[in-house]
Amino acid sequence: MNTDLLPDRLRQAISDDLAPVKPLPPVWLRTLYAVAAAAAGLALVVAAFKLTLRPDMDQIPLWLSWGCTTLQLVVGIVLVGMALREAVPGSGVPSGAATLAVSTGVVMQIVVGIATWMHSPGMPLIKGNGLKLGLGCSAHDAALAAPALAVALWLVFRALPLRPSIAGLLGGTGAAVTADAINHILCPMSDLRHVLVWHTGMIFGLMLAGWAAGKIWGRRRFGQA
Amino acid sequence: MPGAKPSMGTDRKAEEERLIALMIGYQKGSMDDFEGLYAALKQPLLRYLWTFVRNTTVAEDLLQDTFLQIHRARQTYTPPRPVRPWIYAITRHVALMYLRSGRRRKEMLADDQLPEVPVPPEMEKLADRASLHRMLSELPRASQEVLMLHHLLGMSFQEVGQILGIAAGTAKVRSHRALKALRERLAKDEGADE
Repeated sequence: MNTDLLPDRLRQAISDDLAPVKPLPPVWLRTLYAVAAAAAGLALVVAAFKLTLRPDMDQIPLWLSWGCTTLQLVVGIVLVGMALREAVPGSGVPSGAATLAVSTGVVMQIVVGIATWMHSPGMPLIKGNGLKLGLGCSAHDAALAAPALAVALWLVFRALPLRPSIAGLLGGTGAAVTADAINHILCPMSDLRHVLVWHTGMIFGLMLAGWAAGKIWGRRRFGQA
Repeated sequence: MPGAKPSMGTDRKAEEERLIALMIGYQKGSMDDFEGLYAALKQPLLRYLWTFVRNTTVAEDLLQDTFLQIHRARQTYTPPRPVRPWIYAITRHVALMYLRSGRRRKEMLADDQLPEVPVPPEMEKLADRASLHRMLSELPRASQEVLMLHHLLGMSFQEVGQILGIAAGTAKVRSHRALKALRERLAKDEGADE
């Protein structure tokens, strides 16, 4: 072995801390862990808030209710998987693919919101009641997204994301899209003002939270993000 | 910086398998395997770091920082994935952090301090070694990186994409454009000489 090549300072630092480590599981397995934890969290939140299916479910075609929820869940899981992939050096997601995935998540929520409003007006938005309903929906959205966001970011930052803000953004968007997929079949409101302000707004809020978490983690780990 | 022969032409698969075996041993706590990894990657990593900092001493300092980062992140390598994209991505990050930090020194090397960088045949036929060094250093960093990783260190475009966080096709396009720019600079130089 060519040991004379190794500088003393480096040799000392490595040998002082050479405990065996267990390699990270592959991305698909870590995504599966995230999905399982997020699903358990979602079920708990639905039970805790006593949330029920929206009353106009029978007026919305199946492809738009359960179909779009499934599709949004798939997109959310893909986004979380991309975040976990981005967290491992040398397997980063190309910037174009990350942009496309994040945009798909946001655009899909808006399109689903518009299509739902076209098929069923849902509960009327009573003047003066918008803020109260909006805050209630945002609280549900945030609570539904919190388990997925927490587990996704925990798994991301346990690895070594070299672009932590991008990994955080992907994780935040994945959690937000997953939460909205569920809230889409729970929230009784179809009014576009409500959907675009509170639901889409919460998606942007969670994206920002993931991005900011990445920035903060990057500053702490590397001195700058 | 003493130059090592480029890995192109050697059995890359066997080399990659050796690196994977060393990495697995290192993850299990073997100092010998860490030293083997260091010995195998020291020269190519120094050449890569030099692309960023243009200073042999700084590159050597950054090489130690790189191996410390590799050590802290060794659990994030998942066998049997290729080792080199993982290590080069960390190396690149260390270099970029250095360039963004206040540690950066604005030192330029004299030509005689340039490290001995092996030049592959398809580039060697474009110009003499000194001219190639000069022309390479005049290219944008993104182009230099792709040329260094693909043409000098012999990585596939897939691996280059994984290291840089871009699609393999984008890496190929960058390489093509960089070679074209090199040829144009060479033609311009020859025109000026005449």
